[in-house]
Amino acid sequence: MRTVFAAAAAMAMATALMALLPGGPASATAAPANAYCYIGWPTDGQVVAAGKPFRVWFGLRHMGVAPKGVAFNNTGHHHLLIDTELPAAGEAIPSNRNHLHFGAGETETMLELPPGQHTLQLLMGDENHVPHMPPVQSKKITITVR
Amino acid sequence: MRSTMIFFALLAVSSLGAPVCAQPAKSTAAPANAQVYFIWPHDGSVIVNGKFWVRMGLRNMGVAPKGTGSPATGHHHLLVNTALPAMTEPIPNDRNHLHFGAGETEARVELPPGKHRLQLLLGDKDHRPHNPPVYSKPITVVVR
Repeated sequence: MRTVFAAAAAMAMATALMALLPGGPASATAAPANAYCYIGWPTDGQVVAAGKPFRVWFGLRHMGVAPKGVAFNNTGHHHLLIDTELPAAGEAIPSNRNHLHFGAGETETMLELPPGQHTLQLLMGDENHVPHMPPVQSKKITITVR
Repeated sequence: MRSTMIFFALLAVSSLGAPVCAQPAKSTAAPANAQVYFIWPHDGSVIVNGKFWVRMGLRNMGVAPKGTGSPATGHHHLLVNTALPAMTEPIPNDRNHLHFGAGETEARVELPPGKHRLQLLLGDKDHRPHNPPVYSKPITVVVR
Protein backbone atom coordinates (compact mmCIF):
# COMPACT_ATOMS: atom_id res chain seq x y z
CA MET A 1 0.00 0.00 0.00
CA ARG A 2 2.89 2.31 0.75
CA THR A 3 4.19 1.81 -2.79
CA VAL A 4 0.77 2.57 -4.19
CA PHE A 5 0.84 5.79 -2.26
CA ALA A 6 4.33 6.61 -3.52
CA ALA A 7 3.37 5.84 -7.10
CA ALA A 8 0.24 7.91 -6.82
CA ALA A 9 2.16 10.83 -5.35
CA ALA A 10 4.82 10.55 -8.05
CA MET A 11 2.19 10.50 -10.75
CA ALA A 12 0.46 13.54 -9.33
CA MET A 13 3.77 15.37 -9.13
CA ALA A 14 4.75 14.41 -12.67
CA THR A 15 1.43 15.67 -13.95
CA ALA A 16 1.84 18.92 -12.09
CA LEU A 17 5.40 19.32 -13.37
CA MET A 18 4.41 18.60 -16.95
CA ALA A 19 1.86 21.36 -16.73
CA LEU A 20 4.57 23.76 -15.59
CA LEU A 21 7.18 22.91 -18.18
CA PRO A 22 7.16 24.92 -21.38
CA GLY A 23 6.12 22.66 -24.23
CA GLY A 24 9.47 21.51 -25.45
CA PRO A 25 11.23 23.09 -28.41
CA ALA A 26 9.30 26.10 -29.57
CA SER A 27 7.78 25.21 -32.90
CA ALA A 28 5.13 27.81 -33.61
CA THR A 29 1.54 26.70 -34.10
CA ALA A 30 0.01 27.68 -37.44
CA ALA A 31 -2.75 30.29 -37.49
CA PRO A 32 -5.14 30.96 -40.37
CA ALA A 33 -3.78 33.72 -42.62
CA ASN A 34 -7.02 35.70 -42.23
CA ALA A 35 -7.21 35.42 -38.44
CA TYR A 36 -7.99 38.83 -37.02
CA CYS A 37 -7.60 39.90 -33.43
CA TYR A 38 -8.78 43.27 -32.16
CA ILE A 39 -9.73 45.14 -29.02
CA GLY A 40 -13.52 45.55 -29.21
CA TRP A 41 -13.48 48.09 -26.38
CA PRO A 42 -11.96 50.50 -25.44
CA THR A 43 -11.31 52.19 -28.77
CA ASP A 44 -8.07 53.88 -29.72
CA GLY A 45 -7.87 57.27 -27.99
CA GLN A 46 -10.57 56.43 -25.45
CA VAL A 47 -10.55 58.33 -22.16
CA VAL A 48 -11.59 56.26 -19.16
CA ALA A 49 -12.30 57.38 -15.62
CA ALA A 50 -9.54 56.92 -13.04
CA GLY A 51 -10.17 54.76 -10.02
CA LYS A 52 -12.86 52.77 -11.79
CA PRO A 53 -12.27 49.41 -13.47
CA PHE A 54 -13.25 49.25 -17.14
CA ARG A 55 -14.04 46.28 -19.33
CA VAL A 56 -11.78 45.21 -22.18
CA TRP A 57 -13.39 43.12 -24.94
CA PHE A 58 -11.21 40.67 -26.82
CA GLY A 59 -12.28 40.34 -30.46
CA LEU A 60 -11.23 37.42 -32.64
CA ARG A 61 -12.34 36.41 -36.11
CA HIS A 62 -11.58 33.37 -38.24
CA MET A 63 -10.09 31.63 -35.24
CA GLY A 64 -11.34 30.18 -31.96
CA VAL A 65 -10.48 30.40 -28.27
CA ALA A 66 -9.14 27.44 -26.30
CA PRO A 67 -7.69 27.39 -22.78
CA LYS A 68 -3.95 26.89 -22.27
CA GLY A 69 -2.82 23.32 -22.64
CA VAL A 70 -5.56 22.57 -25.17
CA ALA A 71 -4.34 21.70 -28.66
CA PHE A 72 -7.22 22.30 -31.06
CA ASN A 73 -6.80 23.45 -34.67
CA ASN A 74 -6.96 27.19 -35.28
CA THR A 75 -7.33 28.18 -31.66
CA GLY A 76 -5.34 30.07 -29.06
CA HIS A 77 -5.88 32.15 -25.96
CA HIS A 78 -5.73 35.87 -25.43
CA HIS A 79 -2.88 37.84 -23.87
CA LEU A 80 -3.26 41.50 -23.09
CA LEU A 81 -0.07 43.54 -23.38
CA ILE A 82 -0.07 46.71 -21.28
CA ASP A 83 2.49 49.47 -21.83
CA THR A 84 4.91 47.12 -23.55
CA GLU A 85 6.17 46.12 -26.98
CA LEU A 86 5.44 42.77 -28.62
CA PRO A 87 7.56 40.06 -27.02
CA ALA A 88 10.02 37.90 -28.96
CA ALA A 89 8.45 35.69 -31.62
CA GLY A 90 8.79 31.94 -31.13
CA GLU A 91 9.05 32.19 -27.37
CA ALA A 92 6.45 31.84 -24.64
CA ILE A 93 4.81 35.16 -23.83
CA PRO A 94 6.09 36.42 -20.46
CA SER A 95 3.62 36.38 -17.60
CA ASN A 96 3.79 39.56 -15.52
CA ARG A 97 1.88 42.77 -14.94
CA ASN A 98 2.59 43.94 -18.49
CA HIS A 99 1.57 40.64 -20.06
CA LEU A 100 -1.75 39.35 -18.75
CA HIS A 101 -2.62 35.77 -19.66
CA PHE A 102 -6.15 34.57 -20.19
CA GLY A 103 -5.44 30.88 -20.17
CA ALA A 104 -8.90 29.90 -18.96
CA GLY A 105 -10.37 30.94 -22.32
CA GLU A 106 -11.64 34.33 -21.14
CA THR A 107 -12.86 36.68 -23.85
CA GLU A 108 -13.07 39.86 -21.77
CA THR A 109 -11.62 41.27 -18.56
CA MET A 110 -11.94 44.14 -16.12
CA LEU A 111 -8.89 46.36 -15.91
CA GLU A 112 -7.86 49.26 -13.71
CA LEU A 113 -4.84 51.40 -14.59
CA PRO A 114 -3.23 54.38 -12.91
CA PRO A 115 -3.91 57.85 -14.34
CA GLY A 116 -1.99 58.66 -17.53
CA GLN A 117 -1.55 57.31 -21.03
CA HIS A 118 -1.40 53.57 -21.54
CA THR A 119 -1.04 51.28 -24.51
CA LEU A 120 -3.03 48.06 -24.91
CA GLN A 121 -2.48 45.30 -27.44
CA LEU A 122 -3.79 41.76 -27.75
CA LEU A 123 -1.59 38.86 -28.76
CA MET A 124 -2.80 35.31 -29.22
CA GLY A 125 -0.74 32.48 -27.80
CA ASP A 126 -1.02 28.79 -28.53
CA GLU A 127 -1.50 26.07 -25.92
CA ASN A 128 2.08 26.71 -24.72
CA HIS A 129 1.68 30.52 -24.71
CA VAL A 130 3.85 30.86 -27.84
CA PRO A 131 2.59 33.30 -30.52
CA HIS A 132 1.30 31.64 -33.68
CA MET A 133 2.83 31.66 -37.13
CA PRO A 134 1.87 34.11 -38.53
CA PRO A 135 1.40 35.94 -35.19
CA VAL A 136 -2.17 36.98 -34.41
CA GLN A 137 -2.08 40.37 -32.76
CA SER A 138 -4.30 43.40 -32.56
CA LYS A 139 -3.48 46.97 -33.40
CA LYS A 140 -1.85 48.66 -30.44
CA ILE A 141 -4.19 51.29 -29.00
CA THR A 142 -3.54 54.17 -26.64
CA ILE A 143 -5.98 55.13 -23.92
CA THR A 144 -5.93 57.83 -21.31
CA VAL A 145 -6.95 57.27 -17.72
CA ARG A 146 -8.07 60.52 -16.20
CA MET B 1 -3.66 6.71 7.15
CA ARG B 2 -5.38 4.27 4.88
CA SER B 3 -8.03 6.79 4.00
CA THR B 4 -5.32 9.39 3.35
CA MET B 5 -3.66 7.02 0.91
CA ILE B 6 -6.90 6.38 -0.87
CA PHE B 7 -7.47 10.09 -1.06
CA PHE B 8 -4.07 10.62 -2.67
CA ALA B 9 -4.61 7.77 -5.07
CA LEU B 10 -7.90 9.30 -6.15
CA LEU B 11 -6.25 12.69 -6.45
CA ALA B 12 -3.57 11.21 -8.69
CA VAL B 13 -6.13 9.54 -10.91
CA SER B 14 -8.19 12.68 -11.23
CA SER B 15 -5.10 14.82 -11.90
CA LEU B 16 -4.32 12.65 -14.91
CA GLY B 17 -7.28 14.35 -16.44
CA ALA B 18 -8.29 11.22 -18.31
CA PRO B 19 -11.83 11.80 -19.47
CA VAL B 20 -13.10 8.74 -17.63
CA CYS B 21 -16.25 8.91 -19.75
CA ALA B 22 -18.44 10.79 -17.32
CA GLN B 23 -21.83 9.18 -17.15
CA PRO B 24 -23.98 10.28 -20.02
CA ALA B 25 -26.48 13.03 -19.32
CA LYS B 26 -24.52 14.51 -16.45
CA SER B 27 -24.44 18.29 -16.71
CA THR B 28 -21.25 20.22 -16.23
CA ALA B 29 -21.25 22.79 -13.46
CA ALA B 30 -21.09 26.46 -14.39
CA PRO B 31 -20.15 29.34 -12.05
CA ALA B 32 -23.31 30.84 -10.57
CA ASN B 33 -22.33 34.30 -11.86
CA ALA B 34 -21.54 33.18 -15.43
CA GLN B 35 -23.27 35.31 -18.01
CA VAL B 36 -23.51 35.00 -21.78
CA TYR B 37 -24.74 37.97 -23.78
CA PHE B 38 -24.76 39.66 -27.17
CA ILE B 39 -22.07 42.30 -27.52
CA TRP B 40 -23.61 42.92 -30.93
CA PRO B 41 -26.27 43.15 -32.31
CA HIS B 42 -28.40 44.90 -29.72
CA ASP B 43 -32.03 44.05 -29.10
CA GLY B 44 -34.04 45.76 -31.83
CA SER B 45 -31.08 46.34 -34.18
CA VAL B 46 -32.02 46.90 -37.80
CA ILE B 47 -29.68 45.17 -40.21
CA VAL B 48 -29.66 46.45 -43.73
CA ASN B 49 -28.25 43.79 -46.01
CA GLY B 50 -28.97 40.74 -43.86
CA LYS B 51 -25.29 39.85 -43.34
CA PHE B 52 -23.72 40.68 -40.01
CA TRP B 53 -21.21 39.59 -37.40
CA VAL B 54 -22.66 38.35 -34.15
CA ARG B 55 -20.23 39.07 -31.31
CA MET B 56 -20.75 36.64 -28.44
CA GLY B 57 -19.86 37.88 -24.97
CA LEU B 58 -19.12 35.75 -21.92
CA ARG B 59 -18.40 36.80 -18.34
CA ASN B 60 -16.98 34.86 -15.41
CA MET B 61 -16.35 31.84 -17.60
CA GLY B 62 -14.07 30.85 -20.49
CA VAL B 63 -14.42 29.50 -24.01
CA ALA B 64 -13.14 26.05 -24.92
CA PRO B 65 -13.70 24.01 -28.06
CA LYS B 66 -16.02 21.01 -28.00
CA GLY B 67 -14.51 17.93 -26.43
CA THR B 68 -12.43 20.05 -24.03
CA GLY B 69 -13.16 19.46 -20.36
CA SER B 70 -11.42 22.48 -18.80
CA PRO B 71 -13.27 23.71 -15.71
CA ALA B 72 -15.66 26.65 -16.05
CA THR B 73 -15.62 26.64 -19.84
CA GLY B 74 -18.03 25.95 -22.66
CA HIS B 75 -18.68 26.87 -26.26
CA HIS B 76 -21.24 29.14 -27.82
CA HIS B 77 -24.45 28.11 -29.57
CA LEU B 78 -26.58 30.61 -31.42
CA LEU B 79 -30.29 29.86 -31.43
CA VAL B 80 -32.06 31.38 -34.40
CA ASN B 81 -35.85 31.69 -34.37
CA THR B 82 -36.30 28.93 -31.85
CA ALA B 83 -37.02 28.57 -28.13
CA LEU B 84 -34.49 27.14 -25.68
CA PRO B 85 -34.04 23.39 -26.17
CA ALA B 86 -34.25 20.81 -23.37
CA MET B 87 -31.61 21.62 -20.76
CA THR B 88 -30.72 17.97 -20.15
CA GLU B 89 -30.00 16.93 -23.74
CA PRO B 90 -27.26 17.86 -26.19
CA ILE B 91 -28.20 21.01 -28.09
CA PRO B 92 -29.61 20.06 -31.51
CA ASN B 93 -27.42 20.81 -34.49
CA ASP B 94 -29.42 22.31 -37.32
CA ARG B 95 -30.08 25.64 -39.03
CA ASN B 96 -31.85 26.94 -35.92
CA HIS B 97 -29.09 25.85 -33.55
CA LEU B 98 -25.68 26.97 -34.75
CA HIS B 99 -22.73 25.38 -32.97
CA PHE B 100 -19.40 27.10 -32.45
CA GLY B 101 -17.45 24.09 -31.34
CA ALA B 102 -14.12 25.47 -32.54
CA GLY B 103 -14.17 28.09 -29.80
CA GLU B 104 -15.38 30.92 -32.02
CA THR B 105 -16.47 34.10 -30.28
CA GLU B 106 -17.90 35.78 -33.39
CA ALA B 107 -20.08 34.44 -36.14
CA ARG B 108 -20.91 35.73 -39.61
CA VAL B 109 -24.65 35.29 -39.99
CA GLU B 110 -26.93 35.90 -42.96
CA LEU B 111 -30.69 36.09 -42.47
CA PRO B 112 -33.59 36.78 -44.85
CA PRO B 113 -35.65 39.98 -44.52
CA GLY B 114 -37.99 40.05 -41.53
CA LYS B 115 -37.89 39.80 -37.76
CA HIS B 116 -35.61 37.23 -36.19
CA ARG B 117 -35.18 36.01 -32.65
CA LEU B 118 -31.63 35.31 -31.51
CA GLN B 119 -30.44 33.78 -28.25
CA LEU B 120 -27.12 32.45 -27.03
CA LEU B 121 -26.78 29.20 -25.08
CA LEU B 122 -23.51 27.83 -23.79
CA GLY B 123 -22.85 24.12 -24.12
CA ASP B 124 -20.24 21.95 -22.41
CA LYS B 125 -17.74 19.67 -24.13
CA ASP B 126 -20.61 17.36 -25.11
CA HIS B 127 -22.86 20.22 -26.27
CA ARG B 128 -25.05 19.95 -23.18
CA PRO B 129 -26.21 23.06 -21.33
CA HIS B 130 -24.47 23.58 -18.01
CA ASN B 131 -25.93 23.41 -14.55
CA PRO B 132 -27.14 26.08 -13.98
CA PRO B 133 -27.66 26.70 -17.72
CA VAL B 134 -25.88 29.73 -19.16
CA TYR B 135 -28.02 31.49 -21.74
CA SER B 136 -28.61 35.06 -22.85
CA LYS B 137 -31.72 37.12 -22.96
CA PRO B 138 -33.38 36.57 -26.36
CA ILE B 139 -33.08 39.54 -28.71
CA THR B 140 -34.97 40.50 -31.83
CA VAL B 141 -33.27 41.85 -34.93
CA VAL B 142 -34.98 43.17 -38.03
CA VAL B 143 -33.45 42.50 -41.44
CA ARG B 144 -34.44 44.97 -44.13
